[in-house]
Formats: sequence, C-alpha cells, structure tokens
Amino acid sequence: MNENENNFESLRRLLALKRHETPPPGYFNNFSSQVLQQIRAGQTNQSANLAEELFNHAPWLARLLHAFDARPLLASGFAGALCMLLLIGIVYAERPDLSPQPLLQAANNTTELAAVSPTVLSQPADQSGIVSSTNPVLSLQPMGSPFGQQNSLAQPVSFSPSGN
Amino acid sequence: MDEELLVRRARRGDLEAYDELVRRHQERIYATIYHMTSNHEDANDLAQESFIKAFHALKSFKGGSSFYTWLYRIAVNKTINFLKQRKNRMHMSLNDLDFNAEHDPDLMALISDNTPRRAAGLTELQEKLNAALLKLSEPHRLVVVLHDVQGQSHEEIAKIMDCNIGTVRSRLFYARQQLQASLSDYLK
Repeated sequence: MNENENNFESLRRLLALKRHETPPPGYFNNFSSQVLQQIRAGQTNQSANLAEELFNHAPWLARLLHAFDARPLLASGFAGALCMLLLIGIVYAERPDLSPQPLLQAANNTTELAAVSPTVLSQPADQSGIVSSTNPVLSLQPMGSPFGQQNSLAQPVSFSPSGN
Repeated sequence: MDEELLVRRARRGDLEAYDELVRRHQERIYATIYHMTSNHEDANDLAQESFIKAFHALKSFKGGSSFYTWLYRIAVNKTINFLKQRKNRMHMSLNDLDFNAEHDPDLMALISDNTPRRAAGLTELQEKLNAALLKLSEPHRLVVVLHDVQGQSHEEIAKIMDCNIGTVRSRLFYARQQLQASLSDYLK
C-alpha cells in the first residue's frame, strides 16, 4: 500500500489544490442563521398545513370562517347567539323544578303506575287498539310461549330443605 | 460546551444549541458537498438542507456513532441522491482559490513552466482537476474527497459510507488511477 501511496504522491499534491477553493468571504457568518430561519419557517408552515388539513376535512368550517371574514356583523351575531344559548343553558340547569328525574327513580315508579292503571296493563294489545311506542312495557308477568316451550325468564324451582 | 449535551438540548428543540452545532460543522459539511458537486450554489443549498434534515431527524439519532459521523452520512446521502438526479447536467461553479494557493510550493511545482501567468495556470489546473473529479462515480469521488482533500482516515470514511475499510481502500486506489489517467498532462 505504501508503494501505491508513493505512486500517487504527485496526484495527492495536486488534489491539495482543492483545499484552497474557498467560498466568498463572510459566507459562513450567516450560514447558521439561514439554517435556523428555514427551520423556524418550516415549523410555521407545519402549523399552517395542520389548519389546511382541518379545513380539508371540514370544508364547512372554512366556509363559515370565510363568511365571518367577509361579514363581521355575522360573526358578532353568531357570537351573540352562542352567548345566549350558554346563558339559557346555565339558567335552566339551575332550576330544580325543571331538572329531569333520575332514571332509577323513574324505574321504581313503574310498579306504582301498574297499581294505578291495571286495566291498561291487563288489556291485550289487540284490544287496546294502537298502542303508542312511548307506552312503557309494564307487565311483570312473563308472556307464555306460543309453542308451549318454557319461558326462559321463569324457570321452575324445586327447593328441598337440606338436613332431611 | 460538550457536543453530547448540545445534541441533547437540540433534540428537545433548543435552536440555540443547534445553532452552535451548525457553526461547529458547517465548514466541513459545506466543503465535502462542494468538492462532490464542484458547484457553490448547489453546495450551499445541499448543506443547508442537510442541516435542516438533521435537525428534524435528531429524534432518530441514537448516539451509536458520533454526531459528526451521523451528520456526514445525511449530507453525503443527500448529495449522492442529488447528483444521481442531476446526471448529465453537470455545471461547475467553482469558488475562487484563496491567497495561499499562489504560495504553495507543491502547487507551484506542478504548474508548467510554459504558463505565462501563474494565476491563470492555477485556475486552469483547478478546472481540469474538478472536471476529472466529476468524471468519477459518486462513491469513488467521495472517497477521494474525504481522504485526499479533507484528510479523513479510512476508518472514518468507512463509518460515513457504511462499508468496510477494504472497500474504502479499493475505491481509493481505483479512483486515484482514474484521476491519474485524466490528469496525466499535469502530473509529469
């Protein structure tokens, strides 16, 4: 390998000329600041791209924002309506008489309802005419199977006390 | 400041730390790309892009090699990809030779006695040398640039090029042979 190095000695000296090729004076003074500037610009573009992507997924949002840009009155009207809705929501939430009953409490009341209006409950569907879909299913007796099979909800129990 | 610490800070998005890293390596990265492309504008763009890419890829830098080697790999891969795309559209835009070139005795000895003006001789030599380098394939050119121009060791070059030392040596030998043939008129 040393022989090869010697063979190429004059070539290596010629290649040393490349080391004397230097960029214009002061070139490296601004190099790093240019790199950082591009990195910052890229970060800004990245957030702009995110917004663009959002608008692509929800074009109505872009149209709405454009409409707000064009008509500031519309924007203020929209903001006012939102505030009103918020206020109404707060007022209604604070009125106890308008608050919905808890679901469990409503479920407990079903037995009371059955006692109050047994006629309605005992009526078969074909006799009561059109039954609204909002009528609760209050019958606690399991319906008999039309095919003579045992109802899965009412299993026969044979209980014999232990110790016999 | 310790380079490892700067890298850790830069990974967390600290641009001040990254600024310091750029300042430390900008000249060598630029020089490598410039000697590969023989074009100042291309070298400027590629060097900047390499540093930007490195910043965004810092999270993937595991520290298995030095930051310098890792950065070099990014710059070298970027440059080779660029040169492959630019194939057959080579355009030299050479930097001026610095003042010291005219006072380098080795270089002076190489210039023909028939050259009327020394500066003209050097400029001609510079152009011939760059043209000869551009005739080499990218891997061969890279080995010559890293070893004979920038003075890096075979081991360092092997790490940068992700190959073994034997490959580096054989590429260097072949590239020198090619250059010697191209520049035979100037190497008497």
